[in-house]
Amino acid sequence: MKDRRIALSLVACTLGFMLAIQFQTTNHPKKQDKRDIWQLRSALEEEKKKQMELNKEVEKNEELLNDYQSRTKEYKLLAMKEALKDLKTEAGLTKKSGQGILIRIEPFNEELSGKIDPAMFPALLERLVNELNRYEAKDISINGERIISRSSIRLVNGKTYVNNEPISTFPIIIRVIAKDPKKLKSQIIASQSAEDFVRENLNITSKPVKHLTLPPYSKPIRVNYMKQVKEG
Amino acid sequence: MWLPVFGLIIGLVLGYLTDIRIPPDYTNYLSIAVLAALDTLFGGMRAHLQGTFEDKVFITGFFFNILLAGGLSFLGVQLGIDLYLAAIFAFGVRLFNNIAVIRRLVMDKWTNARKNQ
Repeated sequence: MKDRRIALSLVACTLGFMLAIQFQTTNHPKKQDKRDIWQLRSALEEEKKKQMELNKEVEKNEELLNDYQSRTKEYKLLAMKEALKDLKTEAGLTKKSGQGILIRIEPFNEELSGKIDPAMFPALLERLVNELNRYEAKDISINGERIISRSSIRLVNGKTYVNNEPISTFPIIIRVIAKDPKKLKSQIIASQSAEDFVRENLNITSKPVKHLTLPPYSKPIRVNYMKQVKEG
Repeated sequence: MWLPVFGLIIGLVLGYLTDIRIPPDYTNYLSIAVLAALDTLFGGMRAHLQGTFEDKVFITGFFFNILLAGGLSFLGVQLGIDLYLAAIFAFGVRLFNNIAVIRRLVMDKWTNARKNQ
């Protein structure tokens, strides 16, 4: 009787041990950190940068809050209007001008490239816009269509549409406002998308311009996932 | 009767405290081993209630079942067949059978005890 109990308990103990290991393994699979010291350093640097940016954001918003609170009613309205204006500028609903670069996309000389019909695929434009944004472009417009966060670039019936407007005739002119146009220009020359354009028989040239004006985004912005909350 | 429960708790605590984790590729084997252990445990409880318990059978059954199930799934991996499903099926069916028998035996005991009162 005693042996039996001990045997049962031992088996139960083993079972419990295995169960615990199984739970631990399935719930938190072991992840190995394979980064070396330089990768860790750069990751740390990046996190620090992020923190600094967040701190700046907090500071900015706190300042705004202070602004609202400290001023009288009329000033409050004024401050709010100013904030609204800032937001509109940021959203791309206003005209904007500044220094930047002018990118021109056109087919190569037909005699040289043969008779292949060059076409503008949305994927090309998308990649170019993504790369421009990565290289710290501030604002972009393609053939007079302002690119904002809600802009679409898509293929409809074999034609490329930007903001639901067809972009079919060459040359395509892209205006980009940037802090450092010269740097952006050299980055674009060396970029992946420039190579891709060449592969599609399209020539891409860019030049820095002192003064550019981008049109505002003209379509209404539909807000799908936001609702107004009533006070009180 | 409380000793096995105590053992189970000790095993769980030990397992959590040691913080051992096995590679994800081997979780299949471990789960089968857990199933085999469960099967043996419930088989042992049933034998205990029926009065046919034997230490040697119990202990050898425990290790042999685990080894067999592990070996079968290993063979399955080598052959490209999910042979571990066979082990899971066999143990699952036996588990249900054993638990059903245990339930009946416990209920019988309980009703007998009430009648005798």
